[in-house]
Amino acid sequence: MTAAALGDGRTATQDLVRAGAASTVGFDKVSVAYRGAVVLKPLTLEVAAGEILAMIGPSGSGKTTALRAVAGFVRPVSGRIRVGGTDVTDLPPYERGLAMVVQNYALFPHMRVADNVAFGLRARGAARTLIESRVDDALGVVGMRTFRKRYPRELSGGQQQRVAIARALAVRPRVLLLDEPLSALDAQIRRSMVEEIARLHADLPDLTILYVTHDQSEALTLADRIAILKDGALCAVGRTADLYRRPPNRFAAEFLGRANLLPVVIEDDRSVGGMVAVRAGADRLLVAGDGAPAGTRRLLCVRPQHLTLTAELGYSNRIGGRLRQVHWQGELTHLVAEVGDSLVRIVATRLPALPERGGAVDMFFAPGDASLIPEEAGV
Amino acid sequence: MLVWSRSGRFLVWTVAALLIGVVFLAPLAVILAASFAAQWNGALPSGFTLEHYRAAGTGASGDAVFASLATGVAASVLALLSGTWAALALRAQGPAWSRTLGILFFVPSAVPSVSVGLGLLVAFSQRPLLLNGTTAIVILAHFVLISAFSFGNVSAGLARLPPDFEEVASCLGARPAYRLAKVTLPLIAPYVVAAFGLSFALSMGELGATVMVYPPGWVTLPVAIFGLTDRGDVFSGAALTMILVGVTLTLLIGLERLPIAAAGRRG
Amino acid sequence: MSDLAAAPAAARPNLNGLWVAPPLIVLALSFLYPLALIARSAVLGETGAPDWSGVLATLDSRPFLNALLNTGEIAVASTAGCLALGLALALILAFVPFPGAPLAARLIDTFIALPTFLITLAFTFLYGSAGILNGALTQGFGLAEPPVHFLYSAWGVILAEVTVYSPFVLRPLLAAFSLIDQSQIEVAGLLGARPWRIVRSVILPAALPAAIAGGSLCLLLTVNEFGIVLFIGAKGVITLPLLIYDKAIQESDYQAACVIAIVNVALSLGLFGLYRVAARRLGG
Repeated sequence: MTAAALGDGRTATQDLVRAGAASTVGFDKVSVAYRGAVVLKPLTLEVAAGEILAMIGPSGSGKTTALRAVAGFVRPVSGRIRVGGTDVTDLPPYERGLAMVVQNYALFPHMRVADNVAFGLRARGAARTLIESRVDDALGVVGMRTFRKRYPRELSGGQQQRVAIARALAVRPRVLLLDEPLSALDAQIRRSMVEEIARLHADLPDLTILYVTHDQSEALTLADRIAILKDGALCAVGRTADLYRRPPNRFAAEFLGRANLLPVVIEDDRSVGGMVAVRAGADRLLVAGDGAPAGTRRLLCVRPQHLTLTAELGYSNRIGGRLRQVHWQGELTHLVAEVGDSLVRIVATRLPALPERGGAVDMFFAPGDASLIPEEAGV
Repeated sequence: MLVWSRSGRFLVWTVAALLIGVVFLAPLAVILAASFAAQWNGALPSGFTLEHYRAAGTGASGDAVFASLATGVAASVLALLSGTWAALALRAQGPAWSRTLGILFFVPSAVPSVSVGLGLLVAFSQRPLLLNGTTAIVILAHFVLISAFSFGNVSAGLARLPPDFEEVASCLGARPAYRLAKVTLPLIAPYVVAAFGLSFALSMGELGATVMVYPPGWVTLPVAIFGLTDRGDVFSGAALTMILVGVTLTLLIGLERLPIAAAGRRG
Repeated sequence: MSDLAAAPAAARPNLNGLWVAPPLIVLALSFLYPLALIARSAVLGETGAPDWSGVLATLDSRPFLNALLNTGEIAVASTAGCLALGLALALILAFVPFPGAPLAARLIDTFIALPTFLITLAFTFLYGSAGILNGALTQGFGLAEPPVHFLYSAWGVILAEVTVYSPFVLRPLLAAFSLIDQSQIEVAGLLGARPWRIVRSVILPAALPAAIAGGSLCLLLTVNEFGIVLFIGAKGVITLPLLIYDKAIQESDYQAACVIAIVNVALSLGLFGLYRVAARRLGG
């Protein structure tokens, strides 16, 4: 499945089947309304060529609408959508050169696996020899070559989803759209499919993937970048690790995983290497500033597993508290400490000795592992 | 199980057997018996003969079988074409128009068949379209009466088709015509086949509009059966009725067994 | 790119809506146009001028009023019969199933696909003056005259229509019953509720929408029924469709036929509207 596989004799129709040179996707103030109700507020977002961008959010957040706008199934009321630099807003879906995988696979029940995979190429009028080699390639990528004569109903859910992915890959799409592709699978198969998609992307680094999911663990595992949507609006976007470590707001912090949110006051807004001093109770901490002036109240967000109970190099911030609960769970130990009026959770992988409940405890974290976020619950 | 006691259950079953037996089974059985009866003087028919069937295969009765089959096939094919087209086209309309036009396509099924026949007789006995006295007007009458059922069946099939299939197809590059031929129509094939079966069955039994418009040379089975029984030849009428029932049921069962009709159900 | 982004979404002319035109034209030509001409012929007399006295004379005539009354009586009685028979059979088939119940349901279902006059023909053999019942009675009791005459009255028509149209009630009822949780009934039974109580308190409320939808469909179909009435051919039992046929074909009085047809069509469309409302409101 490399771009070079399609070198020979390119006709006008075959051009549609062009090897997907890495394409960007651009949303320029894209807004979608359905029967008068705005379901996607003006969205501006760039997806870089060859990256996996995950759009996550609760149901009704507009993530699927954004994906459907790229596919061409819904028409924006305003704004433009670009794919690979071309404005596709006015193009019908079949002229956009994309491919899509949906939650319930939507394999054509009346076609065998090979015919399903060949569908897009036949629809575009590709030559027979090209179709044969592409189908073989695509089925090989997902490890389904031996099933080519089967009907979809004879396959398990995971196998059907592999065929659906092969069907999408066979057309060499400019962008691959994945709409909750793993939601219909049970937990164990879902984990192995996540790994498989990650491997697939490693094999096809040029493929741009727009991945819609409500499951933050899929997004964290797969995505280069994550866009979080809420109530039809973009609420946070950033590189996966950055967004996880330093979410810009409370919703993003809590949607991506467990977060400790500790009330603090900015004490000194003079930035030193991007760091400002904040006060949390009796402790003075250095964290990345957000430009707010001294005296502003903020929430300090730090993940439970970014806190340690032992002073280590780089873990220069210290919070003092009182230990309330200790749950040893083998691999991990979950601890809860009281800091002022707040509870702070800690997940430790190794501890020198199990600390005593009720005793004073010091917790340490690196300045880069925390962020300051506004106090209001919303955005 | 609603009735627990053994005796209660048997009582209920006896009532059910009597109802089904007397109301539904007896009429079919008695026509079957009559169609083979040599004579019927006492309470029950006596003697066995194939004479009524032999007569049905020849002459006027044979023509009626042919006229009914030809009318049924022609009208059903036309109704299916028009109904499927209408059902597909309505999807491109907004919800309000789609509902209004949908009801309009259903209306012919609500109008009494005799009035449909009368309307065609009045409309096509004058210029610009003179169809009176042709077989075309019979086929047209059947078409009007069954088109709503074709439309309804195909619409039901389309309503149950998840949008994913067509969306994925067009995303993969399928133009509307290709998508229709390779995805939409194969997926609703069971409903299309069922629509054809129902249309054909209704056409085979149509009487009200046909008696209003049929020309002398195109007597359908129901009209022929009415003619026979009206003259008192009830045994030949029974034989022709059994042929009508046989043809209809054979076609319905045959359609049900078609692989195309089963494909969607298995998928 | 920036000027592109600022451009308003170009309104591509959407011609997809026009695909509905061909079947709509066919419908207009084959159905609406004839219907309009019926209305025109009803009003215009032989001369071509509006002839309202002719319309009134038809509407005020004894045959028309009799037919209207007959049609209403037969339709209401048949529908009531369909509801009773359909409900009884549906209850048994769904909740006291016996071996062969699915087969019986299919047998009843096939009546939807069979011509209605078949039943009348069968009734002639069963209950006609020379039929099985009368034959058995005259032989058994040595009677000179066949004692059973109901077939050649409105009752014959009603019984035939009940047979033919009860499947239209049975079908939605069975569908509604299949949605009732069987364990609910079993629990009620274990708690000592009598079958009738369960039927009244659990089953009937759930079946009401289906019964109303099926019943209104029956009402529509029985008002429109022609074959059964024609085949029975009883002098005293004339309904609107039969009167239209008589006027047009036997008497060649097209104006009267068209006037009656308009009344019949209006009645049917009213019932059709009722059925749509019932099916929509109650069927969810």
